Amino acid sequence: MSSHPYLRAYMAGITVPTISLLLGLTAFTIARFGYQVPVPIERVIVFPMAIVPNLFGLWNILYVAMGSGRRLPIGLHGALLPFVLLPLAFTMATSLGFLTFGQDALVWLEVLTIPYSVLVAIFPVLLIIYYLVWKYLVAFLNGLLGIA
Amino acid sequence: MNQDDDKKIRELLRRAIPPVRDTGLQRDLWPQMLKKFDESAGARVPWFDLALAAAPAMGLVFFPEMIPVFLYLL
Repeated sequence: MSSHPYLRAYMAGITVPTISLLLGLTAFTIARFGYQVPVPIERVIVFPMAIVPNLFGLWNILYVAMGSGRRLPIGLHGALLPFVLLPLAFTMATSLGFLTFGQDALVWLEVLTIPYSVLVAIFPVLLIIYYLVWKYLVAFLNGLLGIA
Repeated sequence: MNQDDDKKIRELLRRAIPPVRDTGLQRDLWPQMLKKFDESAGARVPWFDLALAAAPAMGLVFFPEMIPVFLYLL
């Protein structure tokens, strides 16, 4: 299986966020329609549905394209993705109107107030999640599809 | 198609596909299989990664308001 490595890298990359999208969508749908939480689901879902899987796929293509000599270990490569993802997420959420920046906290979905200190503390956790997801899940899928 | 044709086809096939010799295994494959099993059993998650995995779990326990944010980003 040596043909189309980038296509296979893309497919391996999008699998995890596509599956987690189902979980996220289920949670948001239950919150919205089950508990009447005022989540603007149609605006929220755009980013995890369209941007995140594509970014995962493209990031995995980049990993494969860098070749075995130049690339970082896959976990570290994945842990760098939030540095690209977060600015995009904040920009999109702000422009779609469900994220506002207050004096000492940001307001998420008009119901969640997250202090900046918590956000700073939780950022390494996001890096850890990405590190583990890439090291174990994406690497497993890459192996399964015969790349990297 | 008559019997002569059948014979002719049979003969042609026999000539086109040479008989297979030495169909037995050249070596014992079981030791290789055992080696594979050993390799997969040895692929354990390092303690460092287990400790790292505990961090997100703790983070989500202490800051449950971050759950939707994580769902949004993954």
